[in-house]
Amino acid sequence: MSKAIEIENFSYKYPDGTPALSDITLSVEHGQKLVLIGPNGAGKSTLLLVMAGFTKGNGKVLIDGLEVNRKNLKKIRTRLGSCMENPDDQLFMPTLFDDVAFGPLNMGLAPEEVKIHVAEALQTVGLSGMADKAPHHLSAGQKRGAAIATILAMRPKIITLDEPDGSLDPRNRNNLIKLLAGLSQTLVIATCNMNFAAALADRAVLLDKGRIIADGDAKKIMSDSKLMTEHGLEMASKK
Amino acid sequence: MHHAYIDKFAYQDSAIHRLDSRVKFIVVLVFTAVVISLPRTTPSILACYAIGPFAVLVWAKIPLRFVFKQILLVSPFVLVLALSCPLYDKTPVRVGFGPFLWAGSTGWMRCFTILGKFVVTMLALIGLVSTTRFNDLLAGLQRLGLPRLLTIQLGFLYRYIFVLIDRAHHILRARAGRRLRNLGFKTELRTAGSMLGSLFIRSIDTAEHISIAMQARGFDGSWHTLSKLQIRRQDVLFVLIAATFMLGLYLFVRPFLQ
Repeated sequence: MSKAIEIENFSYKYPDGTPALSDITLSVEHGQKLVLIGPNGAGKSTLLLVMAGFTKGNGKVLIDGLEVNRKNLKKIRTRLGSCMENPDDQLFMPTLFDDVAFGPLNMGLAPEEVKIHVAEALQTVGLSGMADKAPHHLSAGQKRGAAIATILAMRPKIITLDEPDGSLDPRNRNNLIKLLAGLSQTLVIATCNMNFAAALADRAVLLDKGRIIADGDAKKIMSDSKLMTEHGLEMASKK
Repeated sequence: MHHAYIDKFAYQDSAIHRLDSRVKFIVVLVFTAVVISLPRTTPSILACYAIGPFAVLVWAKIPLRFVFKQILLVSPFVLVLALSCPLYDKTPVRVGFGPFLWAGSTGWMRCFTILGKFVVTMLALIGLVSTTRFNDLLAGLQRLGLPRLLTIQLGFLYRYIFVLIDRAHHILRARAGRRLRNLGFKTELRTAGSMLGSLFIRSIDTAEHISIAMQARGFDGSWHTLSKLQIRRQDVLFVLIAATFMLGLYLFVRPFLQ
């Protein structure tokens, strides 16, 4: 059976020649919850863009067995949903309903099916009854939930999230952890927040300067104080 | 940050709110055309035309304080135009309203007519946007034949204008926090240029992110929507009432007022 994500010897340079990712090899099993940790500028967001087929470089990238290329892009985007760092970039439609329905409509689903997908996605993120709200009327926590709902409505097998805990207060962060922990999909989460990462992931990949520094059990990596300090990170506080 | 959204009362519920956006738009368009085409010698008749949109606003429970605040916000442009009329046209004229008669000048009459038409058409326009959600209005305009690309652009504009305003506020606040003395006109101008440049670059950045978010959800250039618009009996009734009101004024009231 194919893996959720397979990346082999992938390298990518920014247009000005600065190396962004160097020789990345990564394999993610279905159902795994993986966190990409690393300091700012480590290449976490770029790697997520590579997975969604937005950044092309040298190397092989397979999503659910499909090679990331122009021909497979449409199929890949129904299997892998990307959640942007800033929810305002993700929520671009006039109402929450339209935003959540945007993906399913592009998938060519029938109107009745779209409505079911939207209702279920909004229920999962706890925003039922807010379908007619304009995204700019939502709070930061609600916007984050709404951004995830836009992905869930497409029912992808894999979800990538870029710094999903950014600008959330502790209550909303805990709600987000509960929500993500309850999802059955393969999750790849890029974050700098070790407590958030430790609460969610069973596997961690430490990136720095575009290279994979460590890959393994999340708790083990995040409790290695020398490794974390060396790469500008901190250990997760024990609860 | 909280903004004064133009459709902030559009989320209320009333018979007017429930009307089809296309019907409301067409009625307001025709009403505006009728009001604009009224002769400039009859400023008094405008008071009768104001009854229609005023009744709609009251029925839809739109606070009149909000309505007049909106009118005041856009009035400076019209005020300049209207108040310039008495300066260049001083021809004496007698103005009548029923049994009453006043002596004035054509310039002042034109001034009152411009202001009257402005207030009446603004009442109708505010009535439209305060009882119709912006997205419903866009969907209605699209169904009426407005190019899809234009409605998408308008939708994005309305969605992101507040994000842009917030960013501009943040930049201004950051400048205010470090601007401890008067820097002189040239430096201020250079700073303003840099701030605008920063805003522009961030807008391009946002546009790129939105484009990625759209493509990630399967957008291939064609826009798919679930349209909920439907003309019902109450929409037809509203059109009939509006038509009767406008025709009634045109046929019966106007001759008595002249």
